[in-house]
Amino acid sequence: MSEALDALIVMAYRQLKRFRRGRARVVSSIVNPIIWIVFFGLGWSNVFNFPMARMIFGGLDYLSFLTPGVVAMSVFTASFIGGITVIWDKQFGFLKEVLVAPAPRWATILGRIIGDSVIAVIQGLIILGLSFLVAHSLNPWGVPVSILYMLILSLAFTGVGVSLALRITSMEAFQMIISFLMLPLVFLSGAFYPLKYMPDWMKIIAYVNPLTYTVDGIRYWLTGVSSFNPYLDLAVLSGLAAIALVVAAKLFSRATLD
Amino acid sequence: MDADQDRFAIVVEGLVKRYGRIVAVDGVSFRVGYGEVFGFLGPNGAGKTTTIHVLATLLRPDGGRVLVAGRDVVRDPVGVRRSIGVVFQDPSLDSELTGYENLYLHGRIYGLRGGLLKERIEEMLRFVELWEHRDRLVKYYSGGMRRRLEIARALLHGPRILFLDEPTLGLDPQTRAHIWDYIRKLRREMGVTVFLTTHYMEEAEALCDRIAIIDHGEIIAEGSPEELKHMAGNDIVYLKIRGAKPGICGFFEDLAIECRELPGGRVALKVEDAVKALPRILLRARDRGLDVLEASYHRPSLNDVFLLLTGREIREEGPMDMIKAVVMSRRWRR
Ligand SMILES: Nc1ncnc2c1ncn2[C@@H]1O[C@H](COP(=O)(O)OP(=O)(O)O)[C@@H](O)[C@H]1O
Ligand SMILES: [Mg+2]
Repeated sequence: MSEALDALIVMAYRQLKRFRRGRARVVSSIVNPIIWIVFFGLGWSNVFNFPMARMIFGGLDYLSFLTPGVVAMSVFTASFIGGITVIWDKQFGFLKEVLVAPAPRWATILGRIIGDSVIAVIQGLIILGLSFLVAHSLNPWGVPVSILYMLILSLAFTGVGVSLALRITSMEAFQMIISFLMLPLVFLSGAFYPLKYMPDWMKIIAYVNPLTYTVDGIRYWLTGVSSFNPYLDLAVLSGLAAIALVVAAKLFSRATLD
Repeated sequence: MDADQDRFAIVVEGLVKRYGRIVAVDGVSFRVGYGEVFGFLGPNGAGKTTTIHVLATLLRPDGGRVLVAGRDVVRDPVGVRRSIGVVFQDPSLDSELTGYENLYLHGRIYGLRGGLLKERIEEMLRFVELWEHRDRLVKYYSGGMRRRLEIARALLHGPRILFLDEPTLGLDPQTRAHIWDYIRKLRREMGVTVFLTTHYMEEAEALCDRIAIIDHGEIIAEGSPEELKHMAGNDIVYLKIRGAKPGICGFFEDLAIECRELPGGRVALKVEDAVKALPRILLRARDRGLDVLEASYHRPSLNDVFLLLTGREIREEGPMDMIKAVVMSRRWRR
């Protein structure tokens, strides 16, 4: 067991080490959410600057409504892409080094997923810090609980990313997933506009979109506004994370070079 | 079978591996004893890498039985993984980490830690002469340095059996000679069993106790380098003798299988073993008062063996051939 734990820890350590070296990647992954907050959020916040508008957003100013969603989005993006980068390890051969080791496969892949999740949460926290500068109705006491939601979200989506990466064989498929899966999930999560004004068919997608529950949960703890019970959000996320981790571990345990 | 498990590091019986309809390995059988350096020699696409991947538990065999360190690769892959170190044909380092970090990571994954791990890392990095470069990112390493680091990494956890898939592919001759030295040394000093693949004949000949020649997924010949070369025919000793007269072959009749007189005072003697026959032939010549101006011999190479068995050359060109070509072209220009 201590062997498994060692492998888990050192794989997480590897992800963090690589993250610290890859400054360009860090900057680019933070820039994207900042662009959303500044150019999208600040722009619309002036448009929505009348009393009726506050009612649309559950009594919040637009930036306070938007920023928790952008935080969730940034954690989601970072963790999903982090998981999918297993495909680079495949490409550059490092995966073979891990596969040929006697350490339990579930431990090596879980270590990697935890490392990537911590990185995603760090990025989310940077965005959250910036959010406090522009949004005025955020509650600092909600931050610790939000971190929990962020962590579970990132474990779930790193797991999903890893599982996909173990299945896909081409960089084209990778690009397809980024553009046809990630962006729609972000838009249909209630991060940018409230769920209840969506057309019904969109609502259906939003209800099965796990990101919806993260946005909702984090928004609840930071602003008190939500569409669902925050504990339901937590339960949905935890369920997804559990499934994703088990699937990733199973797939990785059975992985060969075929 | 139980006795075999203890005596042999590797036992392969009727191994078959397919990729879809392509049969990459087609019923291969061989055994490698502990402490031996065993080589798979064959052209590109012969099935060498596929075999190594099956032996290293990274590919599931479609048929046959494979035991590595006495463990079945299908039933007890973890047991196999504990006993082996692998240097893959394609790079498998983390190039965003330093050389030291790559070994540290490997050590921790294999359950080493603390002072012991530090000692092992230093020992292995010194062994492949990379200690001075330990803190550089691997992405700035040269091809030869990367290969050396991979060898150090594969040995770090002290495996009994080391797999090397084309260990000097694409390296310059000097780096190659270095890597040959390491392989000889690790066998001599650490007693590691080595299974290597190569498509360089000189490499197989220089390093291996036994060689299996593989082509289209099948082993077509197996034996020590000497045994294999004997398959392609006998050695030939050439002499140039001052004032050679017809009938000169008569002097050497009992020392050669066959003797032929060539123009220009030359004689060609077919013998079993040129190295042993040559001194005797020269002694005979002196006894008979013949003035030998030049002596040389030709031995069949492993390439001749491959040619004999398949009708093809083992490869069109490689570093050694290129060097020869360069040397030759220089010679012609003069
Ligand atoms: N992943 C793969 N998918 C399909 N065919 C493969 C794959 N890997 C190898 N092959 C084929 O199997 C045969 C043996 O390949 P390989 O084991 O790499 O040979 P070698 O290492 O001797 O060059 C070749 O015909 C090669 O094209
Ligand atoms: Mg190969």
